[in-house]
Amino acid sequence: MAEQAVEQRSEPETPDEQAEGTGAPASSKDAASEESAEKAAAENKKESEKVAEPVPAGGGLITVRDRYSIFYDRPIPSLDMPNGLAFEVEDRKQPGRALYALVSKPEMLARISVMRILKGNEIPNTLQMVDWGAADWPPANRKCIIIIYYRPLGGRVMDSLSAVRERIPDHQFPKLVIKPIADALIELGQKGITHRAIRPDNLYYMDEGRQKIVLGDCCTSVAAGDQPVVLESIESGMCGVYGRGSGMYADDMYSFGVTLLMLALGRNPMAGMSDDEIIDKKVKVGSYAALAGEERLPVSLIECMRGLLTDDPEQRWAVENIDLWINGKRMTPVQAKSESHSQRGFKFAEDEFWSCRPLSIVMHRHWDDAAKIINDGSLEIWIRRGLENNNLADAIAAVTKTTQAMPGDQKESDDNLVTRVLMLMDPDAPIRYRTFSTSLEGFGTSLAIAMLQKKTLQPYIDFISRDFWRYWVSSQTAYHPDHAQWEGVFKDLKNYMKDTNSGAGIERCVYELNEWLYCLSPLISSQYVLEVKSVLPALDIVSKSANTKMWPVDRHISAFLRSRYAKGTGTQIDAMNDDRPDRATTGMLSVLAIVQWRLGPEAVFGLAGWVGGLMGPIINSYQNRQKRKDIEREIPKLVRKGNLPELYNFVDNPEERQRDAEGFAWAKAEFAAAEKQMYELQTGQMDRDENAQKMGRQAGAGVAVVIMLLAYTVTLIGKAF
Amino acid sequence: MPSDPHVAPAAKMNKSRVFLYLMLAIPIGLMIVPTMIVLMFALLPSGVAFIMERGKGIYGGVCVGAMNLAGASPYLVDLWFEGHTVEAAFGILTDVFAILVIYGCAAFGWAIYATTPSIVSTFMTMTAGRRIAALQDQQKELVLKWGPDVESVYEPEDKPDDKPDE
Repeated sequence: MAEQAVEQRSEPETPDEQAEGTGAPASSKDAASEESAEKAAAENKKESEKVAEPVPAGGGLITVRDRYSIFYDRPIPSLDMPNGLAFEVEDRKQPGRALYALVSKPEMLARISVMRILKGNEIPNTLQMVDWGAADWPPANRKCIIIIYYRPLGGRVMDSLSAVRERIPDHQFPKLVIKPIADALIELGQKGITHRAIRPDNLYYMDEGRQKIVLGDCCTSVAAGDQPVVLESIESGMCGVYGRGSGMYADDMYSFGVTLLMLALGRNPMAGMSDDEIIDKKVKVGSYAALAGEERLPVSLIECMRGLLTDDPEQRWAVENIDLWINGKRMTPVQAKSESHSQRGFKFAEDEFWSCRPLSIVMHRHWDDAAKIINDGSLEIWIRRGLENNNLADAIAAVTKTTQAMPGDQKESDDNLVTRVLMLMDPDAPIRYRTFSTSLEGFGTSLAIAMLQKKTLQPYIDFISRDFWRYWVSSQTAYHPDHAQWEGVFKDLKNYMKDTNSGAGIERCVYELNEWLYCLSPLISSQYVLEVKSVLPALDIVSKSANTKMWPVDRHISAFLRSRYAKGTGTQIDAMNDDRPDRATTGMLSVLAIVQWRLGPEAVFGLAGWVGGLMGPIINSYQNRQKRKDIEREIPKLVRKGNLPELYNFVDNPEERQRDAEGFAWAKAEFAAAEKQMYELQTGQMDRDENAQKMGRQAGAGVAVVIMLLAYTVTLIGKAF
Repeated sequence: MPSDPHVAPAAKMNKSRVFLYLMLAIPIGLMIVPTMIVLMFALLPSGVAFIMERGKGIYGGVCVGAMNLAGASPYLVDLWFEGHTVEAAFGILTDVFAILVIYGCAAFGWAIYATTPSIVSTFMTMTAGRRIAALQDQQKELVLKWGPDVESVYEPEDKPDDKPDE
């Protein structure tokens, strides 16, 4: 992806207003709220209002790729997505082209892997993507993902899921709705893309005559992140909104079936029902019966809808079946095998249950009570005697015994137990852990969104460290090759979690799981850095406002680099984790230096200044005071060049280091020798006194003898003369 | 009881030596009787000094003796050159001034012997102090150039253990 060069032409608003515009979610809702796509959509609506709020009165535009002018003072609310705001676009090279831009909300992840495929590929009967990229978005005061589409001139097919629209005539249905969407799904399937945003309010009329229906955007949010529960299959609906994963083509077919049914009825038959009620009803009577109910559906469409709304994904109609059906071949959809029922009911949470799946769903909602019925054995007894499923009862008994024997506090043990028992009771359901629920595939995006929205990460840490993924895979009744691959991935993640160093931990996990996740470091998240080569320019930009006492390489940046550029930065990041401050600082500098050396840019003046100010520990690692002063004097000159490799080579010159070390060793030896001499001089006082006594006596005797000899000589000479 | 074969020859040798010395000393002593009379009285301080400093070496006796002889030198030379007689010798011994000079010189010798060790000690200490100051200056320069990490404390290997015996 190429980040866009952006030309701003309006007065930027005040920083405070900008901050409001990009603010975090208004309230940190608990994970239960994730269950509701509609609630999330409502929240997103509020967020979108916030992002749209600080548009300056004078208006303004940004220009991307020197071609598309996006007017952020000209929103198009009718084309807004739950996680993307629509704005008018003008193509400078081809004026008059009807385009519009969707700006993905900063707190949401766009599906970049899908955008990369869709751009430039004409998928029939979908909104045609013209271009996309990350660009500065003044209302949010940060970079955002902007996607430019051809503008649908006829508006939405259905304004919202709560709206009521005219029924499309039965005879027009296959030609107007089913065929175009089926063709689009075939094409998407061939490109390896699941749409995961098929719903009545995401279908548009491309023409003003409202004859050509196309599928809407599927990129401004994570896969199925905007989908209400009613549009999702039972298993997907049981997941948290962001934990559904890209899913399979069968998931798209299900959403397609619900969409057809709603369009056929002209309304949402489950409007007004809560997510739990929708899931309960679908589980109880099957999706088709739950949605169709007593409604009068066009007879000609019943077969198609029953095929698409089959709850068993293996039996669900694929696009090929629709093609055959349109061409006149009649098929009877296979009805899903009903779950085995107990002879006697099991009372739980003021309700009575006759089969495993509905009970497991309610056990998830009443977590603490679920632990009680597992621990007291009543669940096992009911499964063994009521359901007469000895295998399941034995498995639950074994899990209970194992979990209870494990050390740890009771709450943790109960949580593990309930999670594992729910997996055994309903292997097709997502992994459910207290209020957290995710598919294995959706775990990565769910973690990324939690991190992005600053939610608690403990369930995600537990998910990895308590091996829930492993238990879920082992609870599956059918082998799936993907599971082995996931096991390998999660084993690596567990190792990262054990490592507390920078470049590992939960931060590393999130980047390993999300190939196109931008760097979430608080330092550069506003710069939407998707590639390693963009890290340094982003740091250079933020260096003007960042706290320059902090390191420019935080846990997120090191995890991002380690994940995306392990070969280039692995050793340097290891050095950065050294306990010695000078080694760690050298490591930090070397990380940045090697990225600049290999990937550019040529000069990063702001970042060089920032890093230059952090060289204290390296400077102090030189023992020679004069050398320190020399380095301090030289650093500003190197900073002005903006070249980090040069700075690194200067401060960590091996020859200088050796010279310094040798000089220091010599100086230490000198000092020690002087110390020894002084010690000997000071402690030798007693010896010296003894010597002085001896020498003094000798000297006295010598002097006396000399005096005597002189006396005799003088006397004798005097007598002689 | 048989005699000790090792002791008997030594005792015989000592006796023979003493006899030899006496055979030499007696004639000489008889020849220089006046000098011997003077020296006998004049060198009494030296004898005392030798006795007092017994076990500490001979320097005390040598020092006092030498000065004692130096004090006696004018009188002995007079005796030798102006009549080497017993009367002259008694004349010297009965001269209070001569005795004062001879014994005064012996006292001066004792003073020399007593003070020179302190003088030497003071001199040696002064030399060591200058050396320590020079070494300290050298260390200060090293610290200035290489920082306090260069410092170390010398601990001799044979340093006595400070811990009290348990």
